[in-house]
Amino acid sequence: MSWLLRPYTDPALYRAIAYLLLGFPLGIFEYVVVVTGLSFGAGLAITLLGVPVLLATLLLAAALSTFERELAVTMLGAAMPRRIRRRDAPGFGWKRLWVRIRDRRTWSEVAFLLLVRPTLGTAGFIFVATVVALAFGAVAQMILIAVGVPTQFGGWTVDTYADSLVFVPLSALLFLIGPRLVLAWATATGRITTRMLGWLDPADLKRGVVDVLARIGSADAFTLFDEIGLMLGTGPFLTPTKLEATLLALESAGRVAAVHEGTRTRYSLAASAAIR
Amino acid sequence: MDDFGEMALREREARRIARRQWFWLHFAVYATVQVFLVIVWALSDATYPWFIFPLFGWGIPVAAHAVFAFVIRHPDEILIERARRESER
Repeated sequence: MSWLLRPYTDPALYRAIAYLLLGFPLGIFEYVVVVTGLSFGAGLAITLLGVPVLLATLLLAAALSTFERELAVTMLGAAMPRRIRRRDAPGFGWKRLWVRIRDRRTWSEVAFLLLVRPTLGTAGFIFVATVVALAFGAVAQMILIAVGVPTQFGGWTVDTYADSLVFVPLSALLFLIGPRLVLAWATATGRITTRMLGWLDPADLKRGVVDVLARIGSADAFTLFDEIGLMLGTGPFLTPTKLEATLLALESAGRVAAVHEGTRTRYSLAASAAIR
Repeated sequence: MDDFGEMALREREARRIARRQWFWLHFAVYATVQVFLVIVWALSDATYPWFIFPLFGWGIPVAAHAVFAFVIRHPDEILIERARRESER
């Protein structure tokens, strides 16, 4: 029994409920802001006035995504890279807009704000509202009968305590498993957010490897993996495969030298890279 | 292949297995729902074959999921395997 009721004592449950309830108004707000900005900017683009509008919308989308990242980390404990560097250019014209348009992160953020957040936000809100309403439905029904307010379900009127007992099994079931369902839903939402907003630019990973090697001299891939994890954070954005591919790319570009020592490989900055 | 390469290989393998398991789960849900819909159609008036709409409407995402699970590979995997083949030569 304590296993079933334990989630009620976990603050993560209340954070998850708050996040999922907040998802509906936030998702709609972000969708409206991005759709309005993009359509207004694209429509005005021919007069050149649209360029700053489009750029302002993309900058706003980036700010909203940063907020969403922080929200997912704080409320759901989602994994996110610690250091996200963005390709950018000075000014407020074509050049900066073009840099933003060419950045994959921009489109990942816009897709999240336009497609994922409103859909997940609305679905999450409906899910939590339904689970909470059904879990406390039987109690609410009894209170309504006690104060003399009958409830109508189609042609059936619930106006006695005996009638309200019909709701008890479903309410009891959802009271027991509801918190776990809400936590599972919140975890899935956090993972989707990590996938879309926690994308790590391969250039950041390369820079991370070079920074670590410059600091500690030489290291095997296991040490590099731990060090970069400390620097950038751990999650699906940093996997052994990603690090192996990064090391191979750096090795073939001549920036990192690899020495095979038995079953391990030691990496260090190549002499030419150190001079650079 | 060094120790880290082996760990990365195991990680890729685990991801591949998980991707395929998710696909089979998706397919099982899809197939069950479609069979249920065909039975409902057959037990009702069975004139207009309305069940083909969910069959294809959901079938296209299922096919896309199959492509993702069995065909598409991440560029990192292609890069690593190409490098490994070259080093073995």
